[in-house]
Amino acid sequence: MNCNEAAPLIAAYVDGETGRLQSRSIKRHLAACANCTAQHDALVALRTRIRADVPRYTATPALRARVLATRDALDQLQPTRPRLIDRFRAAIGGSAPEARRNRGASSLADRVSWLAGGALAGCAATVLAWWIGTAVIDLRVNEDIAVEAVTSHVRATLGHQLIQVASSNQHTVKPWLSARLDYSPPVPDLSSDGVALVGGRIDYVDRHPVATLVYRIRDHNIDVFVRPESARAPPSALRTVRGFNVAHATGSGMDWLAVSDLSAGELTSLVQRLAREDSLPKR
Amino acid sequence: MRRGRGITGTPENSLPDPTRFDALVLPHLDAGYNLARWLTRDTHDAEDVVQDACIRALKYIASLEGADARAWFLKIVRNAFYDWLARNRPAEIVNDENEAVDAAVDPAAIEPDQAMIRKTELRLLADAVAALPLQYREVLILREIEELSYKEIARVATIPVGTVMSRLARARGLLQRSPLLYAVNGPVTRNAR
Repeated sequence: MNCNEAAPLIAAYVDGETGRLQSRSIKRHLAACANCTAQHDALVALRTRIRADVPRYTATPALRARVLATRDALDQLQPTRPRLIDRFRAAIGGSAPEARRNRGASSLADRVSWLAGGALAGCAATVLAWWIGTAVIDLRVNEDIAVEAVTSHVRATLGHQLIQVASSNQHTVKPWLSARLDYSPPVPDLSSDGVALVGGRIDYVDRHPVATLVYRIRDHNIDVFVRPESARAPPSALRTVRGFNVAHATGSGMDWLAVSDLSAGELTSLVQRLAREDSLPKR
Repeated sequence: MRRGRGITGTPENSLPDPTRFDALVLPHLDAGYNLARWLTRDTHDAEDVVQDACIRALKYIASLEGADARAWFLKIVRNAFYDWLARNRPAEIVNDENEAVDAAVDPAAIEPDQAMIRKTELRLLADAVAALPLQYREVLILREIEELSYKEIARVATIPVGTVMSRLARARGLLQRSPLLYAVNGPVTRNAR
C-alpha cells in the first residue's frame, strides 16, 4: 500500500471503519511512512482533545419529568376501542362460524377455512389501508413542498437575500452552487430567449439544502429550485399558492420547481425549457 | 387539544405504547438531548426539540425495530430540530454555511488576550465545535460524542455513507485549522507528536 492508497483510508482507520485485512496493510504503511503517520496522529490527537474538552450534555431531571408527563398524558388519550382489523375480522370471519355452530353444523375444517378467509380479508384490509395511507401522506408532502417553495421565495424576497451569488454567467453560478451542495445542478442559459440569469442561492426545501437559481423576465423574479429527481414528484405541473404560481417539471435527472408571480402559462413554459435545456447542451 | 388530534390521526397499528417507549427510547434521552443541545446551541430550545421528538417517538414507536433504537430516536430528534429551525430561525438555515465557515477560520474572530489564557482552552474547543456549520457539526457530534458508526450516522442524517465521510473530514479539517485552537497551543497537527 502506498500513500495514495492509504491517505483516504486513514480517517476510516482511526474511526475503526476498516476491515481486518485493510487495517493490517494500513498499519504496515504507517510504520514506514512519516507523512501518513503525522496525519494519523493528528486525527488521534484531535479525537483525544474532543473527548476531553467537548462536553456531552445530559437531560436534566426536569426534562425527564416533562417527557414522562407527556407519555402519561398521551397514554390516557389512547382510545380503548378494538383495532380496526380485529373489528373487520369479527365482522367477516367471526360471526359466521358462530351462527353455524349454533345450528350444530360446524366442523373443524369449516372453521379453519373461515378463519383463513378472515385472515386473508384482514391482510387485504391492511394492504388497502397502507396504500391509502401512503397516498395521503404523499399528497400532503407534495403539497407542503409547493407551499414551502413559496414560503422560501417570499422569505428571500422580503429579506433581500434573493441572491447569494450575483452573476449572469452560468459558469460562475454553477460552481458556486456545486461547492455548497452534494450534487451539481445544471444552470441553463436562456438569455437568447429574453430570460436573464441574475444569480443563485442555497435555500432549504423539504429539510435539504437546495440549489436555487434566480432568473428575471421583465421585472418578475423567478426562483427555480433544482433538486435531484426523487420518486415523490409533485403530482400537479402547476399550482397557485398564496397568489404565486408554482410550476414543476422533470428533466436532466433533476426536479425543477419554479415559483414566481409571472403568469402561469409563461412560468410553465419556462420551467419546461429549463428542464429540457440541459439535455441538449450548447456547444 | 393538539395532542388529541395527533392521536386520532395516527394509523390504528401505531398507537402510543408507553411500555415500548420506556424500554427503547428513554435510555437514549441523554443522547437525544445532547444532539439537540449541540444543534440548537441553547438549553431551552434543546428541551423543546427533545419534547417534540418524544411525542413523535410515542406516535411511531410501533414501527421501531428494537435493534437500532438509538439511531432511530436520534433521527427523530434531528427531524424535530430541522422543523423547529424552519419555524424559529429560518435565516440561519440559509446563512449557516457561509457565515459559520468564515467565523471558524477568521483569525480576527478571536481577541489576542483570549489566546493567553490557558484555562479557557476547554471552552475554546467547545466553541470551535459550536461554530461549525450545521451539517458538519451534526456528523462530528454523532461520530465523536455519540460514537455512532458511519452507517448509523448515514441513517440519522439520511445521507449516503460517502457523504458522512466527506463531511466528517471537512469538520475535522475546520477544527484543526481553527484559529481558536491554533492560538492556544499551536496547530493540533503539530501537537500530535
